[in-house]
Amino acid sequence: MRLRIGRDRLILVASSVLMAASLCAGGIFTARLILDRAANADIAALAIGHDIPVAAEARPELLFARLIFLTTRDRFDEAQPLMNRLAATGTPRIVAHALYDLANGRLRVAISHLESNDVDPAVPLVRLAKEGYRRALTLDPGFWDAKYNLDVAMRLVRDFPQIESSGEEIPPEAAKRLWTDLPGVPRGLP
Amino acid sequence: MGRSARRLVPCLARLLPMAALLLAAPPVGAQLRSVELYAPRPFGHVIGDTLALSAEIVLDAPFRLDPASLPRPRALDYWLELANVRLTNGGASDGVQRYTLDLTYQTFYAPLEPKRLTIPAVPLTATDGTRQVAIAVPPWSFLMSPLREIVATGESTPMALRPDIAPRPVATASTQRGLLAALGGLVAGLGLLAWQMGWGPFGRRRDRPFARAAREVRVALAASARSAASSTAPASAPGQRAALLALHRAFDATAGKGVFAEDLPDFFRAHPAFTAAEAEVRRLFAASRHLFFGENPLEIAREFPPAGLIALARRLRAIERGGA
Repeated sequence: MRLRIGRDRLILVASSVLMAASLCAGGIFTARLILDRAANADIAALAIGHDIPVAAEARPELLFARLIFLTTRDRFDEAQPLMNRLAATGTPRIVAHALYDLANGRLRVAISHLESNDVDPAVPLVRLAKEGYRRALTLDPGFWDAKYNLDVAMRLVRDFPQIESSGEEIPPEAAKRLWTDLPGVPRGLP
Repeated sequence: MGRSARRLVPCLARLLPMAALLLAAPPVGAQLRSVELYAPRPFGHVIGDTLALSAEIVLDAPFRLDPASLPRPRALDYWLELANVRLTNGGASDGVQRYTLDLTYQTFYAPLEPKRLTIPAVPLTATDGTRQVAIAVPPWSFLMSPLREIVATGESTPMALRPDIAPRPVATASTQRGLLAALGGLVAGLGLLAWQMGWGPFGRRRDRPFARAAREVRVALAASARSAASSTAPASAPGQRAALLALHRAFDATAGKGVFAEDLPDFFRAHPAFTAAEAEVRRLFAASRHLFFGENPLEIAREFPPAGLIALARRLRAIERGGA
């Protein structure tokens, strides 16, 4: 009979502990779900073009969405602080994606400058884009789109060794005009 | 010719003591047994690839690699970055000290055509506390391949970039699963509590006299069988008595009053499910009359061996549960 009482009490304690733990976990998960849903609503709104302000300490996914919103509108000066913030808080994957998208934005603007023969503002943009692709590739060496776009950027403005230029191929245009940082659009064999 | 020979002589004379010194010291090469470089394939690398080189360094025992001489991860060149350096001490055995030096490089060279590049040698220092020996991981050369054609021939323009990566919503699936699990836990806890307290659908559970009787019969018979085995008593009468009493109590509890052999027809009318076992129940009541009031108490052991009693108790329990 004593054994029975012991079992009864054990079941009682076990069920209360189970319920208390489930309640706690359920509360935490519910709160997290509500926050996630709110963040997702903001991300979706940014994606369709609503200018929603995002706090600097927001979660990386939201920062990333805001960064893309700014980048696609060529507002790089506003995007860069978000990028720095994201680099400090985000996972390597999302940071690599953000670096890539920001670099893409800069490279697109640089290319449009080059197409109108506006060289001066294009060069620093290409340099920043290359830096962004390199950082993205450092985080994720298997990021093929970043490799491809870095290759595009490299042919626009070549990297050159600091002292001697041995071991480096000079693109045909640059060789012809003897201008190290000259952006060139390869249009035909040398 | 003669002039140069004359010049050579004092020069040699000066070198001689140094040579003698060198000969007296153990030869420099002796501290380094071997450096073997394990490298990936030497071709087909594209921009942004990582190159994992691994050097196995074997030194003579008192010599150790100077950790300060290891290269730091940094940009080695405008196209080459040393991403990671890891030194693993393989331990000393048979008078040699082994190391594995893992070097991970990343190349950012953008070749227009396959291009041979060289990762430079890595100088290291080995020391035994007093002497220092310079050793080096050998250089490694490989072929880099271009990623794109020089002139775009397809329909795409040469400046076409790969598309952006769209922002993705926060993944909520795991949180939802967690919430479901928490709800499941809550329901399980409530169910356990309800079962224990006999709430709701579990209300009838606690009122199952035959279930309890079946348990008691088994316990009583097992106890008496143990005592019979140890005391060599011929009959297991106490166990039988306890088992029968338990069954009678179950009948009483089911009927709500004392049930004797004479009351069995009434009992079966009130609880028709038990008619399935009517013959056995009648036999049980007859046997218990023998045991409790008769002159031959051992009759019961013949009539109802322990296994038979347990089987009957189980049968009644099943009927009570509605399963038989």
